[in-house]
Amino acid sequence: MEVTLKVKRYEFGNDLGSSEQSYTIEIDGQDTLLDALLQIRDEKDPTLGFRGSCRSGFCGDCTMTVHGKGAITCRTKVEEASKKSKDGVIPIAPMKLTKVVKDLIYDDEQFHWAKIKATEPWVDVASTVPDQDQKISNEQVKELRLAMSCTQCGLCDQGCVVLAIDKTYLGPGALTKAFRTVHDSRDTRYKERLDSLSGKRGMWDCAHCFEASEHCPKGIEPTDRIFDLHDKVIKEDLGVGGAKRHYKSFAASVKADGWLDEARLAIESEGLGNVKGILRLIPLAVKAALRGKRPMPYFLHKKRPGHKKIRSIFEKWEVKK
Amino acid sequence: MLYHDVVVVGGGFAGMRAALSAKAAGANVGLISKVHPMRSHSSGSHSGINASLKPHDSWEVHLQDTLKAGEYLNNQDAVEILCKEAKTEIATLENFGMVFSRDEHGFIDVTNFSGSSIPRTAFSGDSLGHILLQVLYERIVREQIVTYDEWMVSSILVDNGSCRGVVAREFKTGDLHIVSGKTVILATGNLGKLYQFSTCSLTGTGDGQALAYRAGASLVDMEFIQYAPTAIKRRGILITEMARAMGGYLLNKNGDRFLKSYSPDLMELAPRHIINQAIFQEISEGRGEGDSVFLDMRHLNREMFSDQLRETEYLLRDLEDLNPEKDLIPVQPAMHRPIGGIQTDTKGATTVPGLFAVGECSNNGSHGAGRLGGNSLLDNMVFGRLAGEAAAGYISCDSSKIELDRVFGKEQDKFGELFNRDSTDELPGMLRRELSNIMDVHVGYRRDKLGLENALKLITELAARTKKLGISNKNAQFNMEPQMLLELEFMMQLARVMVRSALSREESRGDHNRTDYPYTDNSNWLKHTVVTQVNGEDKLHYTEVVSTRWKEMEVENGSHS
Amino acid sequence: MKYAFYPGCVSKGGTPELYEATVKVAEKLEFELEEMRDVGCTGAGVLSREISDPINARTFAKAEASNLPIMTICSTCQGVMAQAQHRLKDEKYRNYINSEFLSDEGLEYKGTVEIRHMLWAVVEDFGLDRLKNIVVRSLEGLPVAHFYGCYLRRPPELMVPPEFKKTRKTALEDVIEALGGKVVKSSGRGKCCGFPILTSNEDNSLQMCGDHTLDAKEKGAVTLVTPCPLCHLELDGKQADAAAYRGEDINMPVLHLPQLIGLALGFTAKEMAMQRHLVSTEPVEMALGFEVKA
Repeated sequence: MEVTLKVKRYEFGNDLGSSEQSYTIEIDGQDTLLDALLQIRDEKDPTLGFRGSCRSGFCGDCTMTVHGKGAITCRTKVEEASKKSKDGVIPIAPMKLTKVVKDLIYDDEQFHWAKIKATEPWVDVASTVPDQDQKISNEQVKELRLAMSCTQCGLCDQGCVVLAIDKTYLGPGALTKAFRTVHDSRDTRYKERLDSLSGKRGMWDCAHCFEASEHCPKGIEPTDRIFDLHDKVIKEDLGVGGAKRHYKSFAASVKADGWLDEARLAIESEGLGNVKGILRLIPLAVKAALRGKRPMPYFLHKKRPGHKKIRSIFEKWEVKK
Repeated sequence: MLYHDVVVVGGGFAGMRAALSAKAAGANVGLISKVHPMRSHSSGSHSGINASLKPHDSWEVHLQDTLKAGEYLNNQDAVEILCKEAKTEIATLENFGMVFSRDEHGFIDVTNFSGSSIPRTAFSGDSLGHILLQVLYERIVREQIVTYDEWMVSSILVDNGSCRGVVAREFKTGDLHIVSGKTVILATGNLGKLYQFSTCSLTGTGDGQALAYRAGASLVDMEFIQYAPTAIKRRGILITEMARAMGGYLLNKNGDRFLKSYSPDLMELAPRHIINQAIFQEISEGRGEGDSVFLDMRHLNREMFSDQLRETEYLLRDLEDLNPEKDLIPVQPAMHRPIGGIQTDTKGATTVPGLFAVGECSNNGSHGAGRLGGNSLLDNMVFGRLAGEAAAGYISCDSSKIELDRVFGKEQDKFGELFNRDSTDELPGMLRRELSNIMDVHVGYRRDKLGLENALKLITELAARTKKLGISNKNAQFNMEPQMLLELEFMMQLARVMVRSALSREESRGDHNRTDYPYTDNSNWLKHTVVTQVNGEDKLHYTEVVSTRWKEMEVENGSHS
Repeated sequence: MKYAFYPGCVSKGGTPELYEATVKVAEKLEFELEEMRDVGCTGAGVLSREISDPINARTFAKAEASNLPIMTICSTCQGVMAQAQHRLKDEKYRNYINSEFLSDEGLEYKGTVEIRHMLWAVVEDFGLDRLKNIVVRSLEGLPVAHFYGCYLRRPPELMVPPEFKKTRKTALEDVIEALGGKVVKSSGRGKCCGFPILTSNEDNSLQMCGDHTLDAKEKGAVTLVTPCPLCHLELDGKQADAAAYRGEDINMPVLHLPQLIGLALGFTAKEMAMQRHLVSTEPVEMALGFEVKA
């Protein structure tokens, strides 16, 4: 089929000014967009800059923006991409949310590697006995292999609403990598890792809106991996700061009353000793009260019927821990 | 000027393993890679690692299986080390945090890969390569090993016959750098881009082999090219052998498991070259569907597709709209990996002092004429470790100071000259496609004298046209044109070496098939083909196969199939 | 239609206007609401799933026993419950939860509960044509920016699966149009409002709130409408703080879904308890021709 790729190009070092260049080629519709780009570079324009390595979807090198959405170009077929626009033209641009270096090449150090390195992504194995296997279950292996099937393609990061406004956040890609080390029972720094990942810009900065899971092409479900990290922190009673106060307070009021005590949550998230923080809440509380919103905290918070049953669920779980 | 005790070129399995062991042995290590290490071809290399882990196995049996697969062209000293060290290497990887699939007791499981008489291949579902690459990279980060990502080595610095480091081009800035070192370990992997229909990644342009050759090192057994039986039809993307290890069948167009006519005992787990031959035979006798046969996984336990064969299912769904749980998968053999490479001893030392080589770009004779499935990754790990240690411990006997400025100046001139040439109608990519077409047709699975001589002629003509190529974009930053030109030069050179080696070996053995010499000839050809560049010419000579305790092993003349 | 009504926590606490509006509108829609009282909070994605799954299973078991579908009025409740329901489809897991946590109460969740948000109930159970017919005060082209709340959209295979794509993909837009309003597509329509990170990263949270409310304003919306009270707490409750953070006025009213429906069905702003909002809803009332207190 004949197809036109409309490529956004950037001069080296100028990630603000782009130009568009269209290339029309004759290619089998079942070939991939990466095949198309390679054909363009081989036969028409050797100056076109883009990345690609394994061409089979395992290395994560060839991710670009296609029709405005992140895509792994070596797993995207030309015919399918062409169908998405009325005139059959396929718009290709570099990955968003990161600095472009040239043409379709982006700053991967900032987008991926710096963040992964920040999570200390290795496993400190307990045993160093040579000639000996560690005993771990196949179930754990399955879960680890799922997280490790991540190619750091960046699609989850590109869909992340938090990264869209805050590039310092670790992001779902790095947190999925962090899950791999936290979840590996051979690692000796479990609690240390969970505490460190609970810090600023870590797991609690996630809005758990499921964009990451929606964008992941490998079904790794990064949002659920982040939830796994949350659950581990909660189980070990780890973490610091606002996030910890928040989850503890939420749990405490549901345990006590069967449902959320919002006023209590607002106060305790600031921290009971945090006079300044609590005082900050007062104008909002007054305004709300004047409008007729008066959620009452603590003993004024009405317990739900059956709250004892809810409490006993908590107690059972605590024992299991 | 940059300096490291050990300069590793290539960030895949062997390169990272060597870098880790060199660091552990106390060396200051620098690792140069054309792509970020996590983007290496190794990421898509889904195989297994052999080791005689289980009590019913032994390194001797592993060795015997290896010799059989290698059709006795193996250097037995290398095979001994490979098989003896396997168990320790697996334990080391485990301690690195490697995630191997487990048996029901929670210990490392092993499966049956082609050619092994006993199941001994440790695996991680169908994505061991991807998982292992990550684990090695995790260790690189942990050890804080310096990496130069997206740099390409353009030549090896040699002074007074000794290796002194490399010159590398940084893609981002376009700058040339000297990275000097006590030793250099080449671990650049595959040369599969020489072929159009191959499982190889875009990076597999044989850089290490060409660089070493130009530096005066010898290349050995370059005629042996391994084909993988089950590549996706038309695309050449590999479907891992795990599909067969987990129980998949190969069917012809009549729905028959045709391997019963070629290897009834081993069936789909027969050695690769037997399966390749069988497939080509079925196709040439009209029992293929076009030029492919079928991989059948429909009878496998559904649970497998959610874990052990998950990546395979995703791959087929994304690229072919096929579901291996319900559909037959058209497959055909594709060029996979070179068996031959830079000639080294068992410590990875090449014929140039200070220059080492490991992994797929190298050959120490451990594989012979054909690789036992699961030995490739083992080779990368075991010899990667040994080379790293050897390089770290290397004491240079030559203390002369290299005139780095002069050498560097030469390299800069070379690139300057390249940039001065204006581009013509012919583009490097077009010539590469022509070259790969020649290789596919004449230097493919089946070769003969006429085809090989024709190939040589065509390649020589092509090489002349390469000299006229130029560069369109004169800005050096992130300009891939010089890279493409350099890679093309490397590939042309290697193509000639491969063709000459293939012409020279007048027999068929393992992964070298001469239709005009279809039999294995042990009286004349139980030797290695070595090529060295002397005064710009490819000079061939032969070396003996190293035999250790297995001198008495019966080595019969016989039919190749 | 009869439902096991699950009001959630916030509609009885921080956004009581939602509860009031729901009850009134439900009557007009002939939805018989049997309020579930002896049930626990869904967990809202904050409680560990190890605790929230048993709590939600208990809720499901009770609804199952009463043979009624659960109706939620909160995107977050709906999303969290759908995720729990999905995990509880696994028999082994369900048996474990039943035996460990529910059996002493004599409860058992059998895996058959139906959970639907009021938005879906309006479209699927009541019907858009019927809704059009009972509109008393058409919104007359009122520009309304829809804001689903992320948990009502994702994960898409759970929240908008193929068999429900037709009714659920554009449910909120369809309802707005059926009521006579004009749909304004703003940036936040399917995105997160920022509420979940309010305590861990307030700056980012306020940035999101500001971005989406300002975008709606820029695109000419007179009001936002949302089926999620947590989004309401953020977009309405924190709007003033977001405006201060951004250094620009916003003043974008935010209506709960039942309020918008209620206005079109003839209720007054007071009946819809719109005076409880922190951001004045006067612009909406004026646009609809209500008398607004000076």
